Amino acid sequence: MTNYLIRRSFQMLMVLFFSALVTYTLLTLAPGGPWEEILGRQGSETMRIDAEDIARIRAQYELDLDQTWRFTRWLFGWPNGPIRIGEQELLADFQVGCFLPLETTNALGETVIIGCQKPVTLKDLEGRRVSRGVIFGDFGLSWGILRDRPVMDVLWSRIPRTLQLMFTVTVLSLMIGIPLGLISAIRQYSLFDYTVTTLSFLGSSMPTFFFGIILILIFAITFKQWGWFYLPPGDAVGSRDYVVPMLGKVEAGSLLDQLLRMIMPVSVLVFFSVAGWSRFIRSSMLEVLRQDYVRTARAKGLLENVVIFKHAFRNALIPFVTIVVFAIPGMFSGAIVTETIFNWPGMGRLFIDALSRNDYPVSMSIFLIGATLTVIATLIGDILYTIVDPRIRLS
Amino acid sequence: MHKSKSWVALSAVMILSMILAACAPQVVTKEVIKEVTAPPQVVIQTQVLTQVVEIEKEAWTTPHPILSDLRVRQAIAYCTDRIALIKSVYDYLSPEEQQKLLMDSFIQSSHWAHAKGLPQYPFDPEKGKALLEEAGWKLAEGAQFRTNANGEELSLRFTTTNAQFRQTWAAVFEKNMSDCGIRILRLHAPGAWWFGSSTGLRRRDFELGAFAWVGEADPGGRTLYACDQIPTPANNWRGQNYMGWCNERADANIKLANNTLNREERIKAYAAVQEEFAKDMVSLPVFARVEHIAHSANLKGPDPAPGEPYVVNNIHEWELADRGDTLILGYTQEPATLFTLIESAFVASNAKALIDGLPIISKNYDYTVNLYFKQLPTLENGGAVLNAVEPKAGDKVVDVNGDIVDLAEGVKVKDEKGNEVEWKPGVKMQQIVLTWELEPGIKWSDGKPLVAADMELGKKITCDPESGAVDFTTCERTVGFEVTDTTQKITLMPGYTPPLYFTIFYGWYPSHQEIGGRKLADIPAKEWSTLKEIAELPMGTGPYIIKEWTKGQQMVFEANPNFYKGAPKIKKIIIKFIADTKQAVAQLLTGDVDMLFGETLVGAEAGTVAKAAAEPNAKVIFHTIPSATWEHIDFNLNVR
Repeated sequence: MTNYLIRRSFQMLMVLFFSALVTYTLLTLAPGGPWEEILGRQGSETMRIDAEDIARIRAQYELDLDQTWRFTRWLFGWPNGPIRIGEQELLADFQVGCFLPLETTNALGETVIIGCQKPVTLKDLEGRRVSRGVIFGDFGLSWGILRDRPVMDVLWSRIPRTLQLMFTVTVLSLMIGIPLGLISAIRQYSLFDYTVTTLSFLGSSMPTFFFGIILILIFAITFKQWGWFYLPPGDAVGSRDYVVPMLGKVEAGSLLDQLLRMIMPVSVLVFFSVAGWSRFIRSSMLEVLRQDYVRTARAKGLLENVVIFKHAFRNALIPFVTIVVFAIPGMFSGAIVTETIFNWPGMGRLFIDALSRNDYPVSMSIFLIGATLTVIATLIGDILYTIVDPRIRLS
Repeated sequence: MHKSKSWVALSAVMILSMILAACAPQVVTKEVIKEVTAPPQVVIQTQVLTQVVEIEKEAWTTPHPILSDLRVRQAIAYCTDRIALIKSVYDYLSPEEQQKLLMDSFIQSSHWAHAKGLPQYPFDPEKGKALLEEAGWKLAEGAQFRTNANGEELSLRFTTTNAQFRQTWAAVFEKNMSDCGIRILRLHAPGAWWFGSSTGLRRRDFELGAFAWVGEADPGGRTLYACDQIPTPANNWRGQNYMGWCNERADANIKLANNTLNREERIKAYAAVQEEFAKDMVSLPVFARVEHIAHSANLKGPDPAPGEPYVVNNIHEWELADRGDTLILGYTQEPATLFTLIESAFVASNAKALIDGLPIISKNYDYTVNLYFKQLPTLENGGAVLNAVEPKAGDKVVDVNGDIVDLAEGVKVKDEKGNEVEWKPGVKMQQIVLTWELEPGIKWSDGKPLVAADMELGKKITCDPESGAVDFTTCERTVGFEVTDTTQKITLMPGYTPPLYFTIFYGWYPSHQEIGGRKLADIPAKEWSTLKEIAELPMGTGPYIIKEWTKGQQMVFEANPNFYKGAPKIKKIIIKFIADTKQAVAQLLTGDVDMLFGETLVGAEAGTVAKAAAEPNAKVIFHTIPSATWEHIDFNLNVR
């Protein structure tokens, strides 16, 4: 087991490294970026921006450095100046990027870079802001969401709310989804089974944004207009006190306020995941119930409950474990659409915002944390297999 | 070859955008909103060139086989039912309100520079068809589209963004054209391509191209309509005269209009340009957009007006009738920082307006003082003076193109009368000196008075490239800055005479504020954006103090008891971030938020709120303001 864990940890590190490298490279290769907007302003009559201004802004985002060095600086905060041995500075003139490229116009009228007017050397890196590196837990400063303030501040403003929402959803979905799937399978083709199957088809095929808006329209707007008990349309906490018929005055920020605000987003997400999970459990159970050993168990005259739970359900859980462990990274990354509709300050919305506002440090940190959680979830899944299925050994 | 390459790239971009749209619908929604509400990137006007380029010999000068014919362009104008186009996007407006959105010029009809009696192009398809016949485009028996003598079809590519708004009105336009026998091939490209720095519009890659310009208090226009502003490969695509329009009279007058500070002369010159613009029909103004602001009926005080983007400018006078002491404003975005030298988002400017107050505003496209200053320093009131100075060779001056140059013989400058001349020793130039006078009693929110050192710090940080800011146009052209506790005297570089000179002033920072044991004045500009006291909870002299910023959710402001006009009436303001416009409208209707702005109230959302406001005993007030942004279709007069 120990050997296995060591081997797996090494593999996990490699996977993480490559995923970091690939996502970092892809982000850099993707067109656009925070300077695109500035380039657009170039040539304005009232705002005169020249090549030097653009170079300065590029340098603020480290875009003047070669991709390799940007990556290593992001990963472990190096290089941050010439290599020093005692008093000596080595490679101070080593070129790591280009501050001001040499551009020309080709025959087609396109601007092409043909060289470098003003290179960046290791010596120039001295005194520049640099993070300690993501492997030491420092994700650097945000570019666009919270400009020049630590990425961790941004993440911590969202993580608790995301966990609050997603943890509730996951627990509720498991609590509802497993029994539903189980009963459906045991009573296949019963009225109950048909109802659950129909609802789960509805749940998995109805887009969350549509379902969410319908809920807001009914339970927030219409109910309020009719003077009935209504739910607040969105947010995680209220900004000021409000009065709900039947409940009376709800204080902004109170537990009741937060609970009321969770009802709709949780319902949407639970409906969606219960739909998927119950169907999965149902088919997995049906598969197992057809096996010979279940027939044998029944033939032995075991109690039906023992047959179902000890023999069938435990085996049906094996494939289900894979699905459930992958809910772990999901708990961190949130639900993009639902969070947006209900204005929930979570990670899903943050991720989309970070991408659309060219905040590479924030996007990269979410990518990387997501990747880390995924590999950890895989490991947990593998270990869980040995528990639910004793035939599997990890050595 | 190159063309096919760009097509491949374009299709790739479009496929990618479709995939993205499929994966994350809300991203696309956001794009659309940005397109429709925020002043689009296209407002920008392009730098004037130093050399006159011989464009005749270069690419993109060949006349367009169809569009270079004035009759075809006029026919398109006559065949366009612009009221129907307006109806398609603003169906909730009354017919009178729709009528008001029609434009006949590149300047809004309420603007001081708008000319009256311009040539009109009412919807008259018969006249349009006749013009097409005359131009040789005949409709064959039973055919839907016209052809010429060579059997070529009258078909034109129409390029614009994929914003829903534009798809809607473009569909009506396509139908209009089809009724006149013109085939329109609609291409709805992603904004990133259409407005990209080296794609789409900037490369004049269109036949008919639709986009928006934003009208301003100063109509500008030199980079849009002058002959030397036609982007071609030869001038490295400089300029914004994407139509390729060169009209001698318009060219002379647009330059004149931008070279003089005398309003009467400017009005005359702009009238000439507008007349030629309408006669030549190089660009069809389709309609002005509308802006909406909605707020709870309990709120008294907002006074939205065309031309002024910030309705919160008088927030210190607002009152709540019965909603207690808290006002909640909803915005689609969250500011990246409140260090506004490096952040220009609408919400950041609004938050800053609460903390710092808005010194000057431009209601109805005319600037006035709002806070702090006694008056705008103009030449008329003596607050500004235009001196004739005699610079020496080697001095830094601003040339006719607005660039800073070392003065030498032969350099083109404006002389003391504003005429463009080649400089030689003895030629005098204009220099503007502005004197701003402050109202007495301005204090920081901690009660300390505003002093000269604060304004000096303001100038120092605003003009320090290390701050992270991009634009230093005004700083580089300011040669003198003298302050006392109640005045600011600004001397501009000889030759720098921008039409809006009377809006140039420098803001202030609390030089006495202590941050981590250091005085703010001693902290280098490079660090400012990383300071919580600057980026998140800055101190100001305005009506409100920022108390708290819960990231991703809201900002809380409290009334500033030290505000020089007295503490505002509403005790607490909350700025809430609601990215989803439907959610925002739901919150307005349920009373969770009290006020929404143009960025939220677009498309269907505006319609929903308009309907809610029209009901008896409505709890919402809905304002419709003609926007400075106007849609138009440019005709590209050239082909590659």
